[in-house]
Amino acid sequence: MSNIDRRTLVKGSLAAMMAGAAFSRSTFAQSAEPILLGVSGPLTGPNAQYGAQWKQGFDLALDEIHAAGGINGRKLAYQFEDSQSDPRQSVAIAQKFVSDPRIVMELGDFSSPASMAASPIYQRGGLVQFGFTNSHPDFTKGGDFMWSTSVSQADEQPLLASYAVRRLGLKKLAVLHLNTDWGRTSRDHFVKAAKEYGAEIAVTEGYIAEERDFRSTLVRVRDASPDGLILISYYSDGALIARQARQVGLKQTICAASSVYSPKFLELGGEAVEDVHLGTRYFPQDPRPEVRKFIDGFKAKYNGQEPDAFNAYSYDAMNMAAAVVKIGGTDRRAIRDAFAKVKDVSSVIFGKATFDVESRRVKGAMNAELVVRKGQFLLWDGKPT
Amino acid sequence: MSSWFDYTINGLIIGNVYALVAVGLALIFGVSRLINFAQGSIYLVGAYIGWVAVVQLHTPLPLTIIVVAAAAALVGLIIERFGLRPLQNSVRIAPLLATIGISFVLDQLVMLTFSPNPRALPSQLPDVRFQLGGGTIGPLDLLIAGVGITSALLLFVFLRYSKLGWAVRAASQDRDAAMQMGVDVNRVNQAVFGIAAALGGVSGMLVGMYYNQIDTAMSLQATLKGVVAEVVGGAGNVPGAVIGSLLLGLVESYGVAVFGTSYRNLFAFLLLVVVLVLRPNGLFVSPRQAPPEPLTGTFIAPSRPLRIPRWALAVAAAIFAVLPLFPVSFYVLQTLINAWLLGMLALSLTLVAGTMGQVSLGHAALLAIGAYTSALLSLTLNVPAGLAIIGGGLMSAALGTLLISPSFRLRGHYVSIATLAIGEIVSLVILNWESVTRGPIGISGIPPLTLFGYDLISPSSIYWFSFAVMVVLALLQGRLLTSHLGRSFRAIRDDDIAARAYGLSLNRYKSLAFIFGGFAAGVSGGIAAHLYSYINHETFNTQQSILALTVVILGGLGNVVGAIVGSVALVGLPEVFRIAAEYRILIYGIVLLLLVRFRPQGLLGTI
Repeated sequence: MSNIDRRTLVKGSLAAMMAGAAFSRSTFAQSAEPILLGVSGPLTGPNAQYGAQWKQGFDLALDEIHAAGGINGRKLAYQFEDSQSDPRQSVAIAQKFVSDPRIVMELGDFSSPASMAASPIYQRGGLVQFGFTNSHPDFTKGGDFMWSTSVSQADEQPLLASYAVRRLGLKKLAVLHLNTDWGRTSRDHFVKAAKEYGAEIAVTEGYIAEERDFRSTLVRVRDASPDGLILISYYSDGALIARQARQVGLKQTICAASSVYSPKFLELGGEAVEDVHLGTRYFPQDPRPEVRKFIDGFKAKYNGQEPDAFNAYSYDAMNMAAAVVKIGGTDRRAIRDAFAKVKDVSSVIFGKATFDVESRRVKGAMNAELVVRKGQFLLWDGKPT
Repeated sequence: MSSWFDYTINGLIIGNVYALVAVGLALIFGVSRLINFAQGSIYLVGAYIGWVAVVQLHTPLPLTIIVVAAAAALVGLIIERFGLRPLQNSVRIAPLLATIGISFVLDQLVMLTFSPNPRALPSQLPDVRFQLGGGTIGPLDLLIAGVGITSALLLFVFLRYSKLGWAVRAASQDRDAAMQMGVDVNRVNQAVFGIAAALGGVSGMLVGMYYNQIDTAMSLQATLKGVVAEVVGGAGNVPGAVIGSLLLGLVESYGVAVFGTSYRNLFAFLLLVVVLVLRPNGLFVSPRQAPPEPLTGTFIAPSRPLRIPRWALAVAAAIFAVLPLFPVSFYVLQTLINAWLLGMLALSLTLVAGTMGQVSLGHAALLAIGAYTSALLSLTLNVPAGLAIIGGGLMSAALGTLLISPSFRLRGHYVSIATLAIGEIVSLVILNWESVTRGPIGISGIPPLTLFGYDLISPSSIYWFSFAVMVVLALLQGRLLTSHLGRSFRAIRDDDIAARAYGLSLNRYKSLAFIFGGFAAGVSGGIAAHLYSYINHETFNTQQSILALTVVILGGLGNVVGAIVGSVALVGLPEVFRIAAEYRILIYGIVLLLLVRFRPQGLLGTI
């Protein structure tokens, strides 16, 4: 009997020791748990491609952050929830993130309706909503928890207007723009700046995102006899318009917003996008060290694939998030305050990014003047086409 | 003047593109009386098979066409055999819904295989251009025109002169009689689906080459334009589909010429509504010909509804009512708020589609009208949110009924197509009527919900508010259904000729149903506007309309409790599958297919 008793005793104390060990291991694991960011964005539905591009940029940035020792020794991770960029789902995701204490900050959503529908919940819940593709002028007006690294169109469009009017000498312009909040805001800023620089706007035409056939639109453009076409488009519709413009015999100089900057633009546009001019915030041959590091890293990680703008936005966003968390720690309110404190964060888009506390956006996007020559984006050499 | 020549040529070229899809749709409609919403997905599959053939296997053009046609035909045969044949004897709405489910599954499979990034599909024809007016035209334009017109001609000859063609026509006129005469109807169906899918696949490939661009979002647009072209020409009429397509292309092109690019699709859908109103059978089918749908109970399955005892409903309502008092996460509450908002929309749709028999595919437009009215009332006139939402409901009731009234004389599928068009028109008017709706910028800064001066911003209070509104609307509707009025509605649904003979004024009753339904949907949209604080023309889109229809079918047509159960299920399902990320729409599509297959009368049955 006593034998059994002793054995039980030994067993019991062993079990207690093991439990204690397990307990201490779990508390240890707790502190080594990664710092978690929530991402609300499209993985399915019509905008799924952008969510896929986000992931590539995030993952590359995380690799670099962890290689450099993480956030004070802790890892950074993200939880990506598919919203399809639909406001109903982004709102539910917002509630999910706000009530999940592990989430310290949120990134996204992709489109304005989805992002801004969720803003009140993030604002009331005291969780930063960090939108990095939200150029809608009202996005950061949603409250002091809304911050954005998306380039304000008020910043970018005058640069494109200057390129077209002052540098290329185009005096009479036709503007084709995507008829969304982004395209519309961009168009207004572009038109205002172009007029200030002395150009005449012959015609503006807005088209919806699903549009594929632009021939009749281009006849309207032709009849307005402009000497330059301005495309405020994404790369896929931009390539379509350029192709069809050449097919219906329009030979005018084409200038495009930075959003067409993608290797896909060359692939989809083929010969039709030869000599298209565009202002962009980065390009592979840019010698700036931030850009070199990004592009080399991206190609190494993704089998030589060329990154494009959305890869760069998400890469920058993750780096910015890391910089903010480094200062703010894991407290949500401290993280919001940290946005005002980060200075000169290395950025592909801005070179060095610092927030303007008034607008809660970053000012001073870099701009390179590019032209497509022989199927490649090159720095413009100043020669007219 | 030369510009008009160019607009005409451009209209004919894009019309040819539409014809490629419309011909396949017409063929299937001719035989199965089915608008195949999966045709656009077959077109998508064809485009990607074409990409594999051209870019990876480097096949020459004739071989590419054969490969694509064969592979797409195989997909069509599979759809027919496993997706649609089992539904032969079920309600008419079941195959329609099944094609929507199939299109989800196909689109998603293509996306998972090829990634959502657009790809270049190089044209395999030499890039020479011939001058034509102020523009140019190339060999691919001619090939597309050739394929469209030749296939229409061949089909015409096939239907008129070949033995299988006779069988197809016999089966389309009277399926049972054809079977009694020894026609193997299944074989006919198979042949038709195979041919239509081959055509659809080849057209996807050709259009991909034409634009040098294919992407996974191209299927819905193709289906929409194809359906418009087909119905304009006369559903089921193959040469009519070609002429309808060319007409659609021309109207769009001239519309752009006169009013500008942003109005393009508006003209497409207006054309459709005008044609439906003036010639309900389409331009090329005699208006005197009997409508292709049977006149009675078109969409309604005879079924015994599941009666849920009142005490059980009361208990369930009480549980949901006290839910926020327990420690449930805000995420769960928010998901349920979405379910209650969808529930109001489903109540609206189950009344008009289930009780009244007017299937609507454009119901999201009612949400949009309610949301914009409510948002603008509270922003520009400072109307308190509670009153503004009622204003939104009233506006949806009035405007919605007015917009839909021209379609009251239509039947069956034509009602769904007309409502689809009206939904698109409302969205495009919102986009273009900038002075009122602020156009693409949308409306931001919509004040939160208020009730008697209190702001409802906590999830629990929004939850209670939307739940209470939904319950009140549901009780009203339940009362309505058991009244004399409700019986009159069902009489019209089941046999409108008998109802008319009995002295019921069809238009008046249909209007009444849309007024009540419009109000419920408008209130839902209004609450959503104040909840989101930002809306634009894309907030309430076609997917919402399809979701609402799915909910109503899932719950059981005309079934008030079913509409709510369906809403909770369909808002909940994607959330449950959220962890499945990229696969969840695929799962959703499969669940939809299984449901249609095994319980077409809905979970709770039709009332």
